[in-house]
Parts: sequence; C-alpha cells; structure tokens
Amino acid sequence: MILSQVFDSLNIGIIILDRDLKVEKWNRWMEAQSGIEEKQIAGTSIFEAFPDLNTPKFNRSCKSVLSFGNFCFFSQKLHKYLFPFKSKGYFETNFDFMQQSCAMGPLRDENNEVKFIFIYVHDVTEVASYEKKLKEMTMKDGLTGVYNRRYLETRMKEEYERHVRYDSPLSLVMLDIDHFKNVNDTYGHQCGDYILKAVAAGVGQSIRNVDCLARYGGEEFCCLLPETGIEAATMVAERFRKVIMDQEHTYDGNVIKVTISLGVAEVVEGINSAKILQKEADALLYQAKRQGRNKVVAMNQG
Amino acid sequence: MGSSTNELLTAEEIEIMQEIMNIAFGKSAADLAEVIDTHVVLSIPYIKCMEVTELPEYIKNDVKDYKNISIVEQGFWGKFRGDALLVFSSGSGKELITLLQQDQEVRAGHESESFDVLESETLMEVGNILIGACIGKVAELLKDVVTYTPPKVIVEKYYGDVISDAQYDPDKAAIVLRTDFRFDKGNVSGFLFLITSQESVSWLKQALTDFLEQYE
Repeated sequence: MILSQVFDSLNIGIIILDRDLKVEKWNRWMEAQSGIEEKQIAGTSIFEAFPDLNTPKFNRSCKSVLSFGNFCFFSQKLHKYLFPFKSKGYFETNFDFMQQSCAMGPLRDENNEVKFIFIYVHDVTEVASYEKKLKEMTMKDGLTGVYNRRYLETRMKEEYERHVRYDSPLSLVMLDIDHFKNVNDTYGHQCGDYILKAVAAGVGQSIRNVDCLARYGGEEFCCLLPETGIEAATMVAERFRKVIMDQEHTYDGNVIKVTISLGVAEVVEGINSAKILQKEADALLYQAKRQGRNKVVAMNQG
Repeated sequence: MGSSTNELLTAEEIEIMQEIMNIAFGKSAADLAEVIDTHVVLSIPYIKCMEVTELPEYIKNDVKDYKNISIVEQGFWGKFRGDALLVFSSGSGKELITLLQQDQEVRAGHESESFDVLESETLMEVGNILIGACIGKVAELLKDVVTYTPPKVIVEKYYGDVISDAQYDPDKAAIVLRTDFRFDKGNVSGFLFLITSQESVSWLKQALTDFLEQYE
C-alpha cells in the first residue's frame, strides 16, 4: 500500500514487464506522459503501444536481463529516448521529444529467479539542452555567430588528415577587412562590431555546409574548403570579395563601405600540415594587402 | 606485506574458484550466443592474489601486445563485490558496431553524433552484457545476487597511459580473476579482469566451502 504510493509519486517513469514483455505495472508518471492509463496497457505487449521499441538492441537488453540478471543502460547520448513523449515546457524548441536516460534490470522471486524486468525513465531534457548550448558556445564566436578559432583548428587538423588519407583536395581562404582600424576610430567600436557581423553574414551566406567559416581573430576570418582545389577556391574568394564590396552598411545615419583582402592556398607538395597551409594563406593575404587591398591573391598553380 | 596476500585464499580455495568460473563461463557462453548472436570463447580462468599496487604492472603485462586498448569498467555489488575490467584490443569497437549492426539503429536525424559516441556506446553495451553474464553466473553458483553500477568506458587509448592513470587504494589486496576472450565472428578479443577486494574474502571462503559441500 505504502510502496504503491511511492511508485506513483516518483518523478520518474517506472514500467514493469513480465518475461513475455507484457506490461505488469505502469506508474502514474508513465500515465501522465503517455496519456495511456495503466488499466489500458496492462497485460498487453509493450510493443503494441510502442512499436518503435522493437529493435534488436532493446530485445538484446531484455534477453540479457532475463538470462543473466543484467542491468542495461540506455543513455540519452545515443538513444535520445526510449518512449516518444512530447517535451513540455521551456525546452520544446530544442528537442522534438523528451530526452531520456533509461535503465532496465531484473526483479526476482523468493527463489532468485528473474520474473520481471523493470525499466525506469528519467527526463533529462533540461540537462541535454544545457549541454547542447554549451557545446555550441565552445564552437562558435559570440559576436559574429560563425565558428571560433578553436573549432577551426580542430577542423583543419581533421580535414588535413582526410586529405592525407583520401588525397582529396583541400583549400583555405584567409581574409581580412581593409582599414578596419579606421572604421573603429571614426565611427566607434560598436559600429566596428556591426560591420564585423555584417561581413561574417555576407561571406557566410554563400558557402556550402561542409565549408567552415571561422573568425580567426580581430577582423580576420578563415574559410576552410574541403574537396576544393585552388581554382574553385579562388573563385569562391573572388565571390566573397565582390559580396563585401557591394555591401552598404548604415550605422547611426552613416553609410559605410568596406572591402576585404584575401589569400588562397591549397594543400600541395611541401605543405605537410594544417599549420603550414594557414601560414601560406596568411602570407598570400599580406601580399594582397601590399598590392593595394580589395584583392584576391592565390597560390601559384603548378 | 607479501604474507597477507598469500593468506587471502588457500591453494585449494583458488582451485575451487577456478572450477566455479569454468562452469560459470561455460554456461554464460551459451546464453551469450543467444543474446548477441555470436559465440564468445572464454579461456580457462587464472586466479592470482596480489597487492593492489601490483595490479597495474600485472595488467600491463597482459595487454602489452595491444598498442591501443578500450576498457569497460563496471562495479558489481553483492556479497561478492569488486570491479570488472574488460580490456578490448584495438579496433574491437569498430568490429562490434558492424557485428551488432548498431549503426542502423541510431535514430535518424542525429548524424551529428559522431562515430566516436557510437563506438563507445557499443563497447559499453557489449561490455555490460559480457561482464554481467560472467559475474552473474559466478554469483549464481555461489548463491549470491549482485547489482551493477553503470559501465564506464575508455575508447582506444595507449595502454600505458590508461593503466598508469588508474586509481587504486594502495592499502588493499586484491584477488584477480583473469580470462581472455575471443569472438568467433569479427576480430574481437581481449581480457576480462575481475578484481575483488579483501572485503568479500571471508564471505567468499564460506561460499566456496558451501559450494564444495554440495558434492560431498
């Protein structure tokens, strides 16, 4: 009597299945989340109400509980959820379904025989949601919303390794806003920030999903282009230059225009690390600056 | 301190324990084949008593042929209690994913979850089943019921780094039950170490005596 009250008061879902995976118990929490009452579901196979549960992994887990008395764990990281419940409250925008951390284990009779399986369902949507936000914060630049330098460096290493393994082309565009100091000095740093955002957005709108645009520092950006040779990369850089040149920024009643200079490098013989590729693109960028700015300078081909 | 470890179990007790594990592993192999659809070959177990501080060197010596290893660690908790370490050879995680066809099961729309997560989850699942099967059967023969802590996993690290970093209580002695395993499909192999602490020794001695009495 007391125990069954506890069972129904807990803020987690508890399900008890018999050896044929028919529902024996279904607590209040499960009723509330699923909209299915215990008396409706009791005695029916769990797969009747939740056909998506009928996976090899779930069946394997049930078997290992029944034959070894094992405990099995279904982490949110891999499974997201076992039971598709609409997530409620503030986190709805982040996930379609409640994120769950679940586990199952054996219930034995007085002879130690495993008679039932229990499953508990723990709502971890809130934690998963914070985790997602934190993960994004470690990857993105707070001001412009493009990737940050740390993420770029990880991606560069990965893409370089992919290049080595599959011999697929890999290029890097480095760009810098011309005379950006003048913007800051003339219109103030807030205006400078506004321009940075606009430039990042302008460049970002014309790249592919696989490309990685990152703010490298100050007014300097990098765009990593996997599966792209120097010719195509140069065209991309030229497109960036034109987009920014054509942009008009209105801030505090002032109409401001900026240009960018760009260096384009591809991984070829002699460039044997992601770092050297970056150094190469950086050198070409400064060449573009010296040649009068608003200009693309690409690595010599062949 | 050497004398204290020798007193943990007598030669006869070690022999009985070895026999129990033999029976247990034989039984679990059959059930495992049903659960994960692959036959797992478990070698005859080897039992050794030692100081906990000697443990890292001992494990290193066994796994030194593997460059990288993956480890699943799980605590078990009954009258029989301790830690289970399942050490997989390099590449086992990827083989297991194929073996269990896990990749098809990951919910669509989460491609962002990297292959690494899939690999560690697969190792964890198989580790959990394997450890549970072996310990469960040993416990059953000794008339005990154990529960488990959630498994922890370390994926594909250099063995020297992993094992040196492990934390052990230096004052404790350990009974190490070691067996090597091999899956008959795929290139999956490794070692299972069951490390039981001093605390369960007196119970274990009694349970071993009781076990033997059934046959006398």
